[in-house]
Amino acid sequence: MTGTEELFIQLGELRRHELRRLIAISFAAHLVVVAMFGFSPESRISVPRGVVAVELVQAPAVARPAPPAPVAKPAPPKPAPPVPKKVVLPAEPTTPKVKPKPVKPVEKPAPTPAPAENLEDALAQLRDEIGEEAPPTEIAKAAPAAAGPLGSPDGVPISPEVAAWIKKTKIHVKNNWILQPGFRNEVLETHVEVDLDASGGVRGTPRISRRSGNPYYDESVVRAIQKSSPLPAPPEAGKWNFVFQPEDYY
Amino acid sequence: MRAISLAAIAVFCVAFTAADARAADRPSVVIQGGGEQKFAVALQKFGGNFDAEAYRESMVDALEFSSLFRLIDRKAFLGPATTEVLSERDEVGCLEWSTIGADIFVEGVQRLEQEQFIAEFAVWDLAGCQRKLNRRYRQAASADPLMLARRMADDIVEVLTGVRGVASTELTFVSKRDGNPEIFVMNADGSNQRAATANRSINNFPTWSPSGDSIIYTSYRSENRPMLYLSTRGRGKPGRILAPLSSNPLYRAVYHPNGRELAVVMSPKGSAEIYRVDLAGKNPRNLTRSRAIDVSPSWSPDGDRLAFVSDRSGSPQIYLMDSDGANVRRLTFNGNYNTNPAWSPDGRWIAYQGRVGGQFDIWLIDPEGSVNLPLISHPRSDESPCWSPDSRKIAFSSTRRGSAEIYVIDSSGENLRRLTRSSGDDTSPAWGPFPR
Repeated sequence: MTGTEELFIQLGELRRHELRRLIAISFAAHLVVVAMFGFSPESRISVPRGVVAVELVQAPAVARPAPPAPVAKPAPPKPAPPVPKKVVLPAEPTTPKVKPKPVKPVEKPAPTPAPAENLEDALAQLRDEIGEEAPPTEIAKAAPAAAGPLGSPDGVPISPEVAAWIKKTKIHVKNNWILQPGFRNEVLETHVEVDLDASGGVRGTPRISRRSGNPYYDESVVRAIQKSSPLPAPPEAGKWNFVFQPEDYY
Repeated sequence: MRAISLAAIAVFCVAFTAADARAADRPSVVIQGGGEQKFAVALQKFGGNFDAEAYRESMVDALEFSSLFRLIDRKAFLGPATTEVLSERDEVGCLEWSTIGADIFVEGVQRLEQEQFIAEFAVWDLAGCQRKLNRRYRQAASADPLMLARRMADDIVEVLTGVRGVASTELTFVSKRDGNPEIFVMNADGSNQRAATANRSINNFPTWSPSGDSIIYTSYRSENRPMLYLSTRGRGKPGRILAPLSSNPLYRAVYHPNGRELAVVMSPKGSAEIYRVDLAGKNPRNLTRSRAIDVSPSWSPDGDRLAFVSDRSGSPQIYLMDSDGANVRRLTFNGNYNTNPAWSPDGRWIAYQGRVGGQFDIWLIDPEGSVNLPLISHPRSDESPCWSPDSRKIAFSSTRRGSAEIYVIDSSGENLRRLTRSSGDDTSPAWGPFPR
């Protein structure tokens, strides 16, 4: 039982004392009124003096230190008890069990990529994936509707080869991205331009083209790219744009 | 010559623009969520004439306490296990350390020299082979070198995440291990538990000053009624405080973040109210004015608001008010017994204990009241939450093993760790600030 709870109980007892005192006063006052009815009206004035006298009763209750109580906890909830009753707990210890997460769910491991039968299958998988979870990034938003979810910014559909590479690359980079728990529910987005050679090696230092506002988050993104080198061999060597978002961003 | 230069610049610009356009034309690769939560660290033993093994063990414990690192077994090292001298960039061997799966390499040296203990270390980010930190500490030889090891671990947390670690911080709590409730202090990992009071009376509600130099607590040591006392670290005068208010029972005090004022719970007329006073006990201002019991004040980190507990609705619930007592608003509506609010140092959450069935669980609610979730649920009671100064962890007392003990858990609900194992109840933890 916490100190606050002890305090509540102590003060609750105090309040009950006070209530009993007021009830007693009220009762006494009514008796006096009934007994004195028809006599001198000045006698009613004696009632408040009684309040002053009885007020001394609460002093010991206030000064009483909280007793070193046994391990105790409140009784099961009642309709609206301002102060819970105590019940003695069994001393037998139990196995600790921490309830799974409240605010920030545990990060799930990256799904193992199921090998696609061919490029068309990979494309279909990617379509499904993007259709379900692709966020409205600037580039995605910029793509003409006619191009569909896999359209490049100028509306040219993505080839199955590029789609398959994106899928492999996402999994590869994700596994190398250390995202500390504190970032998971943040609204952060970093864009990085990565220069890849034909075999997927990262040339030079990745260039951040859009910062998130949190330098440590941006740093984690650059670290992920560097750690991922070599990436899966791209369809074409050159610069590719990567967008990093924490999970549960949207 | 000038024409040639202009032509070269023009060619460069065209090439650069073309490359840029090329990247923009391609579809983006969108990565959502990292696959890893922890940095893999290769930590060398710090060479020197102090107990290097003990020093490394303290750093390992402190790094693991942060929940942000996993240590690579030294048996896997391809390079030396002990630092002889700190490396330069061309000799650190980033590739070797990366090959064994390390993200971070930490090296260091230490020595006891006359009256001083000196330690220097470096942190390397292996992905870019970049030295992120190189720092030297110097302290009196009489001071605990292992606390310096924890401090270095906290530095490593900071350089990688932007927020210091808390391994070198301390907690205060109440323990009945010697029979009566006394105030104790311990390191954040539960080590070095020592008594701050030994008055054989009843002591409760310890809270730290913002500087970490002193602890205010409630004690019945004099006249057998609750009054407030100060325990200090050698600075300032210990003993009874708020003498001008001592005609009233004083149940609890918490420092305003400015360190110059207190929120005090006292009951001048029988029902507990919250007051704001200066450290001398002068200029008391009544923040709550109800016939209800108003207790457990907790300041917002900016000092502009307070969370507190009141039973004005018929049952104890968490309320918020401005620092002058205005704009009182009920925050919790779940259950019929919510108490002990603790405002996180980053201002985002208020932890509290809420009764569920017959016991208390730790809950988190945001100050707007829009998100309210249990952090931990257990058949036994978890009570009195308090936040670490980095807002990443919550310490609390729990009866899950029988008698009440202090535990710590990440604010994500992971990495539960027991800090105390005493024969008597350990309750009412309060986490101290970052060391200066």
